[in-house]
Amino acid sequence: MSAVAAAGAPPRRLVKHGILAWLSTTNHKQIGILYICTTLFFFAIAGFLADVIRLQLAAPQQNIVGAHAYNEAFTLHGTTMIFLFIAPFGFGIANYLIPLQCGAADMAFPRLNAFGYWLFLFGGLTVFSGVFAAGGGASAGWYAYTPLSDIRVSSGVGQDLWFIGLTLTSISGILTAINFLVTPIVFRAPGMTMWRLPVFTWEMIATSLLILMAFPPLTAAFAMALMDRHANAHFFDPTRGGDPVLYQHTFWFFGHPEVYVMILPMFGVITEVIAVFSRKPVFGYTGLVLSGFAIAGLSMGVWAHHMFTTGAVNDPFFSAMSFLIAVPTGIKFFNWIGTMWRGALSFETPMLFAIGFLLNFLIGGITGVMVASPPIDFQANGSYFLVAHFHYTLGGGSMFAIFAALYFWFPKIWGVKLDERWGRFHFWTMFVGFNMTFVPMLFLGMMGMPRRVYTYPAIPGWADLNLVASIGTVLITISVAAFVWNVIVSSRKREALPDDPWGSAYTLEWATSSPPPELNFDALPPIRSKRPAFDLHHPELAHTSPP
Amino acid sequence: MLRRYASLAVLPALAGCAAIPHDTTVQAGAMQRVWAIFLAAGAGVYVLVGGLILWAALAYRRRDPAVVQATAFHSNTPLEIAWTIAPIVVVAALFLVTFPAEQHVENLVHPPGEIVQVVGFRWSWRFVYPKEHVVVQGTMQSPPELVLPQNRTTEIRLSSSDVIHSFWVPAFLFKRMAIPGIVNAFDFTPERPGVFPGRCAEYCGTYHAHMSFTVRVLPPGEFVRWARMRSAA
Repeated sequence: MSAVAAAGAPPRRLVKHGILAWLSTTNHKQIGILYICTTLFFFAIAGFLADVIRLQLAAPQQNIVGAHAYNEAFTLHGTTMIFLFIAPFGFGIANYLIPLQCGAADMAFPRLNAFGYWLFLFGGLTVFSGVFAAGGGASAGWYAYTPLSDIRVSSGVGQDLWFIGLTLTSISGILTAINFLVTPIVFRAPGMTMWRLPVFTWEMIATSLLILMAFPPLTAAFAMALMDRHANAHFFDPTRGGDPVLYQHTFWFFGHPEVYVMILPMFGVITEVIAVFSRKPVFGYTGLVLSGFAIAGLSMGVWAHHMFTTGAVNDPFFSAMSFLIAVPTGIKFFNWIGTMWRGALSFETPMLFAIGFLLNFLIGGITGVMVASPPIDFQANGSYFLVAHFHYTLGGGSMFAIFAALYFWFPKIWGVKLDERWGRFHFWTMFVGFNMTFVPMLFLGMMGMPRRVYTYPAIPGWADLNLVASIGTVLITISVAAFVWNVIVSSRKREALPDDPWGSAYTLEWATSSPPPELNFDALPPIRSKRPAFDLHHPELAHTSPP
Repeated sequence: MLRRYASLAVLPALAGCAAIPHDTTVQAGAMQRVWAIFLAAGAGVYVLVGGLILWAALAYRRRDPAVVQATAFHSNTPLEIAWTIAPIVVVAALFLVTFPAEQHVENLVHPPGEIVQVVGFRWSWRFVYPKEHVVVQGTMQSPPELVLPQNRTTEIRLSSSDVIHSFWVPAFLFKRMAIPGIVNAFDFTPERPGVFPGRCAEYCGTYHAHMSFTVRVLPPGEFVRWARMRSAA
């Protein structure tokens, strides 16, 4: 039992340190940490860009940053949040956790794993390098519709660097998904059957299948766009028999599954956090696993709901398919409530963020069903209603889950428990700030405010709602600063932590030291249920664990 | 207590209905009903599920800090089947609301009463009335005006001469993309005279924010006079 061995001994360092060790590492935990730190760095930049956007829009008819800079800012904000923060943060936490949760020493293909990280990093830097190119960075929005993104309209090198950089991150995602898929299937410890895998690992399996189906079409779309730009390919050029709607099909064939690549891992995070702080086994394990695959499967057949207003797709079919996603998502919500039901809930910071996730994502889901109805989408599409909707899923949803994950696994990864008082301050400012920012946008959208405008006329009501949204963004910024401060002050108070600092954690990563040794486990505990760590630490209750 | 919470959640739904413009076109009337039903259903789901979340969190908070496990139940098959079927029923009902409205809005009236060709370009619009020989050309500095007859169905034939735009009249609850190489047709049947702002809703480059227009709905007689005056000019 490593808990006994660790008691009294000095806290162990992770593995070899030093710049060279980090540059050449193939260890899944170090690669996970590299992903987490890199994505948080990108998050800080994208957050700063959000502040620029809200400053410009705080009052009507302002011209603080100007049209072109504003267009670059929202393009880079969306691109960074989606491609360089939320999705790859999931890859980072999964990189760290999957081998630990399976009882493996590392990923199935460690060098492929490292290669994936470096492709991701340099892909991101390539996108950002466009800012310094002649003509500035890309400014065609995060989905870069043609002909807006073609060479005649967006002639700058920034747009090329955008396509090239994101192609690199797309390939990185494909390579990483292969590891996430193979490792839990092939490298499970004795006793760890598939039906004992933690829900988080299951969600990563579903996510990986989505990546393998959805990312290659994106790579193809970007390759075609680049050929249009530089080799007169005319794939999307209507003056030469090409079709701009084809670009939308290939982009959203990736783009909608990508939404679930960003949220399914977070569903896994939320499941684990709620069960630990409710002090009960996960309720409806099988339903949670299968609903993840149902969401993944359905999400491959709904892409054209992004294109209702093109007049070029079968609106009723894609509307019905999109509605159906509410069913497995509803199953998840009810199972989470079932997990809390008759529990003994405590509200440490990870649990606060998990409950914040539930309340925010609920709005994201309800507005999602709304915009899946074409008669509603004809108003909501391209408006601030849509901006509010997807921020409720990816900001109020994924971002809140990301902070739940950081507070929850910080002691495991860095051997440091973050301060609870700063954590509570972080949560409440972020929760209030987030809703102050995005509730007004729901109304602005219904009232007719389009997205992606750098300025707007002084129409009654618009100025007030925009000002409230901008003040909310200030609160979010303060909350993120509080998180950074929390990491700094908490890291100063380093003390030896037990294997399970939360007291009721159950998945296998809590059965090894915090942080774990280089090969993860000095000795594996017996795995006889879905809760190996819980059985190890509370043998008197082991008989109650779900088999 | 739960009822007070429920009445609180009705407020945003009502506010939502108030924020949605109404009684402008026949098509908007159909879509406005869909909005109202979805807002009400959405508020109901939010109260039910959000209430359950908050109730579970508050009612089952830990009272004894030493407890490691509250209870060990982890499944209930009848309950799980029930909450799989319930959302299927709800979304099926919502689809039944959606489908007829969608068909009503998207099906074109034959033959069209009036035809206007609309072309989007960076960063304004051109409105062409082929029967009346009227052309209205806008610029970014002086946005054009689209004049429509009241109580008649006008078919808009929409296209673009450069990048993708989106023709949006918020008061009509409707927008459609203007795509180069494609002509997108849809109907407006305005029900009352008035002036309504219109905007581009698909990001189209630097001055997307200034790509606006207005819609003026005139009684049929006045529309004919307007058209005659414009074609003479």
